[in-house]
Amino acid sequence: MKFTAAALTGLMLLSTAAFAQDLPDLAGKEVVVVTENAYPPLQFTDKTGAAVGWEYDAMAEIAKRLNVVVKYENTSWDAMIPAVSEGQFDLGMTGITIKDERKEKVDFSEPYMRSEMLMIVRGDEARFTDAASFAAIPELLVSAQPGTSPFYAAIYEILDGNEENPRVIKFETFGAGLEALKAGDVDLTLSDSTAANGYVGASAGGLKIIGAPLASEDFGFIFPKGSELVAPINAAIAAMKADGTMDTLNQKWFVDYKMGE
Amino acid sequence: MAPPVVVGPLCLMTPNAKPEDDFPWWLVILASIGAFLFWQIATSDVYSAALANLSKGIWITIAVSCVAYLGACLMGLGLAMMSLSRSRILRQMARFYIEVMRGVPIIVLLLYVAFVLAPGLVWLVNQLLEPLGLPLWRTRDFPLLHRAVIALMLAYSAFLAEIFRAGLQAVDKGQIEAAQALGLNSWHRFRHITFPQAFRLILPPLGNDFVAMVKDSSLVAVLGVTDVAQLAKVTAAGNFRYFETYNVAALIYLTMTVTLSLILRRVEQRLKARQER
Repeated sequence: MKFTAAALTGLMLLSTAAFAQDLPDLAGKEVVVVTENAYPPLQFTDKTGAAVGWEYDAMAEIAKRLNVVVKYENTSWDAMIPAVSEGQFDLGMTGITIKDERKEKVDFSEPYMRSEMLMIVRGDEARFTDAASFAAIPELLVSAQPGTSPFYAAIYEILDGNEENPRVIKFETFGAGLEALKAGDVDLTLSDSTAANGYVGASAGGLKIIGAPLASEDFGFIFPKGSELVAPINAAIAAMKADGTMDTLNQKWFVDYKMGE
Repeated sequence: MAPPVVVGPLCLMTPNAKPEDDFPWWLVILASIGAFLFWQIATSDVYSAALANLSKGIWITIAVSCVAYLGACLMGLGLAMMSLSRSRILRQMARFYIEVMRGVPIIVLLLYVAFVLAPGLVWLVNQLLEPLGLPLWRTRDFPLLHRAVIALMLAYSAFLAEIFRAGLQAVDKGQIEAAQALGLNSWHRFRHITFPQAFRLILPPLGNDFVAMVKDSSLVAVLGVTDVAQLAKVTAAGNFRYFETYNVAALIYLTMTVTLSLILRRVEQRLKARQER
């Protein structure tokens, strides 16, 4: 057994060395990474209050492969793009959807994850079963945070593409929109699959998921414009996609990890 | 003599009751509710985990509120004196500042201070450091916590300035004239005559704004400062239980604000007793 373990360790060292040859060595450079810890399972605080998640694991692996030292800072989502674009931090990670208008303020990495949106309704909802039947009944309402991906999905994929559509009730936080759904103020809210499953699981039958997943979108890290980190980090992402590291992380955080337990 | 019996809407309009002599039934009821909630927290896993997480932000909330409030008091007093000064320019400057700051929502002010004023300040400082050959100050070395405190301070100084101004103006003119007749110079008049009397008058509204500051300090969560409000947001995102988590946040804020207001009440009574002696 000892021999096998030693051989495995040797193999792992070898493979790490092989990657290190392809990837640039940034010689222990400090990279200040900012996140909010409010987007499970990408980054969140577990029951003990420790910050964990898919992105933390991915960033640790990137740091190891590129030989950088990561220092974490926190800011809220509202302040993240301005803070990164003015160079307050070197890199922002919080499941940020890659969008052209955001590229005017910051540089994006290559996508490291694809996310799908699910429709959450009250547990006893029987009036509609998917996006089309929701859109067909004019008095039904959906809650969303303006400027977020669920908001655009509600407007462009479910409704008529009019951003002023009165059937979209706007809330400042996802939590408020979810409570409005529970209270009966709205009939539908949208969230990415992990969070949707988490909320449905914690609701004891009060909520359920209906229909097929909506718009998929790509997440990327953000950098100040012209950052020299973009190319090396893209190389690391490509290597981690190629060798199955991303799949391992997806299995760990999206399948095996039980949120809120 | 028995107090006149007042009935109907009149009892709301005759302010001759002495509220400070009432037995604090409200506090008894509030304390019972608080005790019940704390018992709930102690017996529920979700609640106690939320409390354990959120309580890490209590010191940040207290520090942000206290530092910002003290700064706002000093600035507010300065602004009030400017707005009562003999110089028209000073008066107009104070007025301009107060009207603008009072009218801008604090959340907008927070973002402005963090992402416009702070980088501007860093740039200015660097203009001084560069010719001296000293290492330059980077924007990232200016913590968001400090920027948040500055924003709260700027916002509240405008409100406090108006309270100080009202207090200073309420002091009887005869008192100041008497002090002048006694030959006190303007600093001694302010220090020994005007300010002590004004302070007693403005203590209740000042305390009111301190309590409001404790609550408004939750706005610094926008900048990701890990106070109770930000921890509540993060905790709720992780445990998928918004109401339970925000209940705990409410309980923490209430405990802080009620304690504060009891302390303020005590200080008021002590000042009053000293005055009546």
